[in-house]
Amino acid sequence: MYYNNKRLALSIFWMVLGIVLIILTVTDVLDQSIYAGMGGALTTVGFLQMMRNLRYRKDEDYREKIDTEFGDERNSFLRMKSWAWTGYIVVLAEGIGVVIAMITGQELISRVLSWSVCLIVGIYWVTYMVLSRKY
Amino acid sequence: MKNRIEEIRNEKGIKQEDFAKLMGVSRQTISSLENGRYNPSILLAHKIAAYFGMAIEEVFIFEEE
Repeated sequence: MYYNNKRLALSIFWMVLGIVLIILTVTDVLDQSIYAGMGGALTTVGFLQMMRNLRYRKDEDYREKIDTEFGDERNSFLRMKSWAWTGYIVVLAEGIGVVIAMITGQELISRVLSWSVCLIVGIYWVTYMVLSRKY
Repeated sequence: MKNRIEEIRNEKGIKQEDFAKLMGVSRQTISSLENGRYNPSILLAHKIAAYFGMAIEEVFIFEEE
């Protein structure tokens, strides 16, 4: 069962958070329009997730489709593999970015990208250690 | 790893889509299994073999590379 009460509560939370952000921006409590944008995005995502959740409860065919989609082991494998590739590509792209930024004298960008690579590698290392204890 | 899923499924006259539903996976997964593009987990392999009433090694043929 993919869409459960926990996911419904989470979608309502995102929606409420989004609405609060919009209200705070409209009433000038928050003065940057970026918060209104974030609020709009959160409200939309929360609303769509909530509608999916409700449809999942009512529509048996849809429930079967979603359960197959998220329970299917090949799909899980593809999702995991895609994340792994994404990670490799991001680290590689950032590494190239560091070199280009250094050559062009963009020291700040170079430093930020270097830290980002270090952070990703650090997260990978911690994740690996945690998973190797679990499995 | 080769397998005889398509052969046995056809013998039993089951459509790919129906077989996918029975196994609780997508049709694409069955298609990938049959084409040898994807190797199943031991759980799915067991489920498939049990459905056919066979041992896993009768359905899946392990070949050392």
